[in-house]
Amino acid sequence: MEGMAGQKSSLTWLVNIAALVLVVMWTIPTAGLFVSSFRDRDQISATGWWKSMTSSEQTGFVRTGTADDQTQDGDLYVLEGNVLGEGQSLVGWGTRSREPAAYKAGETAELDGAQLTVNEDGSYRLESTAPFEMRRGERIFVTTASPPHFTLSNYSRVLSAEGIGRAFMNTMTVTIPATIIPILIAAFAAYALAWMEFPGRALLTAAVVGLLVVPLQVALIPLLRLHNEIGIGKGYLGIWLAHTGFGLPLAIYLLRNYMAGLPREVIESARVDGATEFQIFRKIILPLSFPALASFAIFQFLWVWNDLLVATVFLGNTREQLVMTGVLRELMGSKGGEWEILATSAFISISVPLLVFFAMQKYLVRGLLAGSVKGG
Amino acid sequence: MKRNLLVSVAMIALTSGAAQAQMKFPIGEDDTFNWASLEEFKAAHGDLSGQTLTVLGPWLGGDKDLFESVIPYFEDATGVDVQYSGSDSFEQQIVIDSEAGSPPDVAVFPQPGLAAGLAAKGQLKPLPDEVGQWITDNYAAGDSWKKLVTYAGPDGAEHVYAFPYKADVKSLVWYVPENFEDAGYEVPETLEDLRALTEQIAADGEKPWCIGLGSGGATGWPATDWVEDMMLRTNSPEDYDAWTTNELKFNDPKVVKAIDDFGWFAKNEDFVAGGVGSVAATDFRDSPKGLFESPPACYLHHAASFITTFFPEGTIVGEDADFFYMPAPADGSLGQPVVGGGTLFSVLTDNPAGPAFIEFLQTPLAHEIWMAQQGFLTPHTGVNPEAYTDETVKRMGDVLLNATTFRFDGSDLMPGAIGAGAFWTGMVDFVGGKSAQEVADQIQATWDTIK
Amino acid sequence: MDLFLLAVVTIAVGVLGCVAWFWGSNYILDTVFPPRGPNAGNNIRRAGMIRPWLFLGPAILFLGIYLVYPVLNSLWLSMRNASSSTFVGASNYNWLAGDAKFRESMINNFFWLLVVPALSTLFGLIAAQLTDRIRWGNIGKSLIFMPMAISFVGAGVIWKFIYEYREPGTEQIGLLNAIVQAFGGTPQTWLTIQPWNNFYLMIVLVWIQTGFAMVILSAALRGIPEETIEAAVLDGASPWQIFFKIKVPQIMGTIAVVWTTITIVVLKVFDIVFVMTNGQWGTQVLANLMYDWMFRGTPDYGRGSAIAIVLMILVLPIMIWNIRNVRKEMR
Repeated sequence: MEGMAGQKSSLTWLVNIAALVLVVMWTIPTAGLFVSSFRDRDQISATGWWKSMTSSEQTGFVRTGTADDQTQDGDLYVLEGNVLGEGQSLVGWGTRSREPAAYKAGETAELDGAQLTVNEDGSYRLESTAPFEMRRGERIFVTTASPPHFTLSNYSRVLSAEGIGRAFMNTMTVTIPATIIPILIAAFAAYALAWMEFPGRALLTAAVVGLLVVPLQVALIPLLRLHNEIGIGKGYLGIWLAHTGFGLPLAIYLLRNYMAGLPREVIESARVDGATEFQIFRKIILPLSFPALASFAIFQFLWVWNDLLVATVFLGNTREQLVMTGVLRELMGSKGGEWEILATSAFISISVPLLVFFAMQKYLVRGLLAGSVKGG
Repeated sequence: MKRNLLVSVAMIALTSGAAQAQMKFPIGEDDTFNWASLEEFKAAHGDLSGQTLTVLGPWLGGDKDLFESVIPYFEDATGVDVQYSGSDSFEQQIVIDSEAGSPPDVAVFPQPGLAAGLAAKGQLKPLPDEVGQWITDNYAAGDSWKKLVTYAGPDGAEHVYAFPYKADVKSLVWYVPENFEDAGYEVPETLEDLRALTEQIAADGEKPWCIGLGSGGATGWPATDWVEDMMLRTNSPEDYDAWTTNELKFNDPKVVKAIDDFGWFAKNEDFVAGGVGSVAATDFRDSPKGLFESPPACYLHHAASFITTFFPEGTIVGEDADFFYMPAPADGSLGQPVVGGGTLFSVLTDNPAGPAFIEFLQTPLAHEIWMAQQGFLTPHTGVNPEAYTDETVKRMGDVLLNATTFRFDGSDLMPGAIGAGAFWTGMVDFVGGKSAQEVADQIQATWDTIK
Repeated sequence: MDLFLLAVVTIAVGVLGCVAWFWGSNYILDTVFPPRGPNAGNNIRRAGMIRPWLFLGPAILFLGIYLVYPVLNSLWLSMRNASSSTFVGASNYNWLAGDAKFRESMINNFFWLLVVPALSTLFGLIAAQLTDRIRWGNIGKSLIFMPMAISFVGAGVIWKFIYEYREPGTEQIGLLNAIVQAFGGTPQTWLTIQPWNNFYLMIVLVWIQTGFAMVILSAALRGIPEETIEAAVLDGASPWQIFFKIKVPQIMGTIAVVWTTITIVVLKVFDIVFVMTNGQWGTQVLANLMYDWMFRGTPDYGRGSAIAIVLMILVLPIMIWNIRNVRKEMR
C-alpha cells in the first residue's frame, strides 16, 4: 500500500514537471513579446528581451555645446555640461568613433586643440585657450551602463490612439453576432448529419469537410460583388453573413463529430418515448453538446476578433468602419518596423479572447460528466 | 431624444472645429505658400458641397496624417467631404474593391504596374488630355512622368490614367559626416571614387557598407534599387526603358553586368557589415543603424529618401547624418541619372469631385503644404522651394529637379510577377550565392511564362 | 450607443429568426403530418424524409452561397485568361504542371502535411492529458492556448525575436542565436537555410495549433465514462496502459477530427509564410503562390484560380475517407 502511494506521488511529480516544461516551452516566445511591449524601439533592436532585467551597456555619443554656449574662465574658454542621462553611470568615453571608450572617467584627452575631461558623474569640461568657433557641438562618445528600464508609453500610445474606442465597439458589434449565429445554424445541421437518416448524408458530411479547404481569397471578389449587386453593400449585415458562411464548415464538422459520439441509447429511448426530433435536440442534444459548442464559440470568436481581411473587404476601412485590428495596423505605419507598437497591440488584442477563454473554460469541462449519461 | 439631439449638435460643432484645427497652416498667413493658386482653384470649383469623396491609398500611420493635412484645403475650397482610408494590403484591396463593383472614388497607387493593369480592365477613368500636357509642362523631366501614367485602356487606346503626386529619390547614399572626418574620408564625386572609397575603408580594416534586403514578404526589393542605379550608370536610358518592358531581355549581358556591379559591393565579405550572409537576412529598417553605432559598423548606406524614418531616435539629418547623390561614372557620358519613385492618383468613379481633386493636386499649394512638413519631394517646377523645411530636404528636391535623366523605379514598371516577385526573389538568390547569369536567366524564364 | 443597439437588435433578430425557423418549420411539419391518428406510421415516415432538410436548410443555403459559389466561380476563372476575358481551356493547368515554383510549393506542402498535423495532435494530446491531472491545469491550459489567440502578424513578430540574426560576435536579439552564441557556436540566418527553414516555419504553426488540439482533445478525454477507467484501475493497469489502451482508443474519433482539421489548416497555410519569408528561399507554399498570382502586381486570375482549384482537389482523399467513416458509423 505504501509502495503504491510512493509510486503515485512520484508520478504526480513527473506529471507536474512534464506539464511545466511544456507550458514553459509554449510560453517563452510570447513572453518575449510581452517583455518587448514594455521597451522602447531602440532597446528592442539593441538587446535581447531576456536581458532587459539586467543593467545594460550602451555606446552612443553626446554633443557638447556650441560656440554660443562657451563661457570664459580666466584665459580659458570653457564648455561644460553632462553626458549622462538619468540613472546612467559612465563606463568609458572617447573622442573618436573608432575608439569610443579610449578613456576612463577623470582622464583628459586632446580634442582639436582643446582639452576635454569627463568625470565619473558625467560632467565634462572642454577648455581651450582660443575661443570656440564651431556651430555644431563636438561628439563625446560615451559607454554607459543603464539600470533596467521599462516604459508604459507604448500602452498609453496604443490605448489613446484616435478612434480606438469606436473601433472596439465596432469589433464587438462584428464579433458577437458573427459568433452566435453560425453556432445556432451549425448545431441543427450537425444534429441532422449525426442522428437523422436520409439519403446523401455521408456525401453531405464529406462536402462539409471539403468546404473547409476553400481559401478565403477566392471567395472575396465574387461575394463582395454579390453583396453589391443585391444591395447589401458594405456594412455589418454583410460581414455577419460572410463570417457566418466562412465559419460554418468547421462548426458543423466539430459539432457533428461530437454529437455522433453521444450515446445512442439516450436518443433512441427518447424517440421511443415519443419525443419529437425538435424536443430531442433541444432537451438532450444541446445540453450534452455544451463543451463542443463552447470550444467552437471560442475558436470562432478568436478568428473574427483577430480578422482584418474580411473586415476591410466586407465592412470597409474608413474611420467609422475600422475594427480594432485595423486601428492597430494603422499605428504601425506604412513601412512597418515599429515592433514596440506591434508587441503592445498584440497584447491588448489578446486580452479579450483570453478573458473569453477563461470564462468558457468551466463549460469545456462539464457536458458529459455532469450530463445525463451516468443517470441514464 | 432631445438630449440626443443636443449631443449630436455638440458633436457636429466639435468635429467641424476639429476640421478647422486640422489646417496646419492657416490660409493666407504664410507667404511661403502659394495661396493664390488655392483661390484660383476655389473660384473654378466652388460648387461641389455635399459630395463625399472616398480615397484609398497605401499610407498608414504618420504618412496618413501627413496626407490628411493636405486634404482640408481641398475640402475648404470645394465643400467636398474627403474620406481617406489606408491599407497595408492596398494592392489586394483595390483589386477586390474595383472587381466587386465598389471602388473608391480615387485610388493612390504606389506602383504604376497595378494601375496599368486596372486601366486595361476598364476600372480606371481616363483623365482629360490637358492633364498629360500639364505634366509635360510643369514637371521636371515631364515627359518621363507623363509616360509613366499613360496606359492602354480596355479598347487599346492610350490615355493618361493617373496623376503623379509625391515623389521619392532612390539614388542616395547616406553617411555620417563626422565619421568621415574622423577617418579622413571624402565624399566621392564619381562612381569610380565610390569604389575606391569602398576599397579604402575595407583596407583600413573596417566595413564600408550596411546592406539589408529584409522586408518580410517583400524581402529583396532594396537590391532592385541598387541594380536600377547600376543600370542607369552603365547603360543608356533607352536601354533602361527597354529593360523594363523586356525588349531588352533580363539575361542580356548589359543587365547581367549591372547585377554584377551590385554584387561587387554586396557579395564581398570585406565590404559588408555582418558579412554577405547577413545581407538578405537583415531587415532594411534595421540596416541603417550600423552607421550610428560606435565604433561604426559601416560608413555607407544606399537608400531612398524615406530611410530617415528608421534612423535612431533623435538623429538630426544634415548634422548627425547626411547623404550624397549616388555618383555617376567619371566619363559623364550618361549625365546625372536619378532613379525615383512616386505615388499616382487615379479616378475610379464618375463622382465629379474626383477630377476636381486631381486638379487640386496640380496647384502648387497642394505640394507646398506637404513639403513644409516632411517626407515629401516633388518634381513640380512651379512650387516655392523655400517651403521645404530644411536644407537637406531641399537638396534632395534639387536632385530631383536637376536630374538630367529621371527614371522611375524599374521594378515598379515591370509586371507584378517580375517587379514584385521574381526580381526580388532573384536578388535574394543572388546574394545567397547564385551567379548573376543564373539569376537573370531565372527571372527571364519567369517573364517568358507571363507573356 | 446606436451601434450598440444595432448589435443587440441583430443578435436578437438573428437568434430569434433562427429559432423561429427551426421551431416553426418543425411545428408546421408536425401539424401537416401529425405523428398520431390513423395515418401515424405513414406520416412519421414522410415527416422523417422532410425534417433533415429543415434542420439543414439554413446551413446549406449559407454554404452554397458563401463557399460553393466561389468555388464554382474559381473553376470558371481557372479556365480563362489573366483578365478573365477569354476562354483558354486547360492552358493554366498546363502552365502549372511545368512551373518550378508550383512544384516547389507542392513538395513543401507535402512536408507541412506530414509534420504539422502529427506534431500538433501529439503535443495537444500530451498537453490535454497532463493539464487535466494537475492543480494548476487551467492556468497551464490557458498559457498553451495563448498562441491561438495571437494574430498571425503578432506571431510573425514573436518568432522574429526567436530567429533574428545579427552579425557573429555582436549582441544577438534572436533567442535562438543568443543560445547558439552562448555555447560558442556561430549564429545562423535560420530562415534562409534550405531546406530546414521550412521546418522552422512549421514549428510556428505547431506552436499555434497545439492549443486547438488540446482544447478539443481535453473535452473528449473528460467525456470518457469514468466506469471504464475505474474498472481498469481495479484490474491493476498502469497509468501508461490506461492512457494508451483505454483512453486513446476511446477518443480515436476526436483525434481523427483534430488531425483532419489541422491538415486542412496546413493546406491553407498562408499568413505565416507570407509574414516570415513570403515563400523565398525555397519556402513557397500553395496558398501563398495563389495569393501572389491573384493580387501581386498585375493580377492573373486564371493562374491564381487554377492553383486554388489544385488546392481544393488535394482535400479529396480526406473527403473520401470521411464518407467511408460516416457509412461505417451508420452500420
